[in-house]
Amino acid sequence: MSALLEFDDLHYTFPGSAIPALRGASLSIASGQRIALLGRNGAGKSTLLLHANGILRPAAGQVRLDGAPLEYTRRGLLRVRRQVGLVFQNPDDQLFSASVLQDISFGPMNLGLSITEVRRRVAEATDLCGISNLLDRPTHALSGGQKSLVALAGVLAMAPRILLVDETTSGLDPWMRHQIFAIFDRLVEQGVTVLLATHDLTVARQWADTVVVMHEGRVIASAPPVQVFADPDLRALLGPAP
Amino acid sequence: MRVIDRYAFGNALRDVDPSQKGALALLAIILCLALDHPAVGILTLIWMLALTTWRARTPLRVFAGVLLTEGAFLSLSVVGIALSIAGGKPEAPVFAWQFGPVWVSATHESLILAAHVLTRALGSAAALNFLILTTPLIDLIEMLRRMRLPEELIDIMALTYRAIFVLLDSLERMTTAQDARLGYHTSRAAMRSAALIGSCLFLDAYRRSQQIQTALESRGLDGSLRVLPLDYRRDPRMWQIGVGLTLSLVLARMMV
Repeated sequence: MSALLEFDDLHYTFPGSAIPALRGASLSIASGQRIALLGRNGAGKSTLLLHANGILRPAAGQVRLDGAPLEYTRRGLLRVRRQVGLVFQNPDDQLFSASVLQDISFGPMNLGLSITEVRRRVAEATDLCGISNLLDRPTHALSGGQKSLVALAGVLAMAPRILLVDETTSGLDPWMRHQIFAIFDRLVEQGVTVLLATHDLTVARQWADTVVVMHEGRVIASAPPVQVFADPDLRALLGPAP
Repeated sequence: MRVIDRYAFGNALRDVDPSQKGALALLAIILCLALDHPAVGILTLIWMLALTTWRARTPLRVFAGVLLTEGAFLSLSVVGIALSIAGGKPEAPVFAWQFGPVWVSATHESLILAAHVLTRALGSAAALNFLILTTPLIDLIEMLRRMRLPEELIDIMALTYRAIFVLLDSLERMTTAQDARLGYHTSRAAMRSAALIGSCLFLDAYRRSQQIQTALESRGLDGSLRVLPLDYRRDPRMWQIGVGLTLSLVLARMMV
């Protein structure tokens, strides 16, 4: 199985910060997988995700998509962002338009598609997320869960091969979480790789094919859940497992 | 703000093309100003009231509430036009009051002028109220986009409108959190809490603007915020209403 996305020895320190956020993080992601990214607060999970589609550029190390290093040019970045979708933790930080339809159409419009194709993509993504009835509602009239689904649809409308999700499911009610995981499963069936950064050990254990553990800016484990949860050191690090 | 927004999104004319509603409001304002007569102003007001309550099915109290607020500001300036304050006794006043050496009076001309200004302004305000109560800001921005306003301006308007609600949410959360810790228990504490919120909101807005920027870049931001155009229904009745409005206002002007 060849690697779809590779992080090779990434180092990164946020401007103005004394402590590096990443210190030699390496990870290889294969296609069509369910991946749970675990780690304590400040372990570098979000920073790693921001490197995956070129938002952040590593001080040292390399990110590779299909074996080719990322190019940090306008064309290179558009190419990687078309394939690697990133859903942010707080939907209010992602939804920029008061119109649900216009917000979801933003990504596909940037891909230079025709209006007809954009409409088709928006319809497909809203259908998959079960929010077709919200299209003519204003963003500020939606509930938190509905906003999360709209934010997800806005990324899915770009038809990424890899979907990176930053703790979106925390703070949602069980029904809404179930909806979102059902969407993830549909995507994996279609060959999309879904990586979810989470603190939920139950999700990691029951949903994921691979569990990745980060600690102090490094990836310290990447293995099937059975293996990760059998390791007493990792369990001690992650906290009491359910 | 929230009340207007709610009715703008939930009225019977919501899906009518904003250009049609905008054109009707503009027509009413132009007629109201050009024909310049109290009767025309009042008739415009009645037309807009009828359109908003019957065609758009917005409750009368909402329309009245917005208009009264505007009317309160208006009447302040109209009082200034109607009354004049002078040192000596005025000539041929309709009425005059003496306060010591000062005379407050109104003449026939000043009262007529005040009536003209008041009705003209109320008629125009009513026309604008019809527009904002039937057309959400999203659609107004879309209308301006079609009128080929510069993209930068359109983007800023769209982002600002969305940001207002995000910041209102933040404001409510912060106020609740302060209130829960007795932040508004005394008037002194309330002053302090309100001041703290001011600076916190600024930081919050700054952090959010960076987050939004990151999220937009992640979805391939390329200079401007390109989005799908919105679809609307063209209402043939709007043309008839426009013709009826024009005829009735011109007739009213000719009869008085």
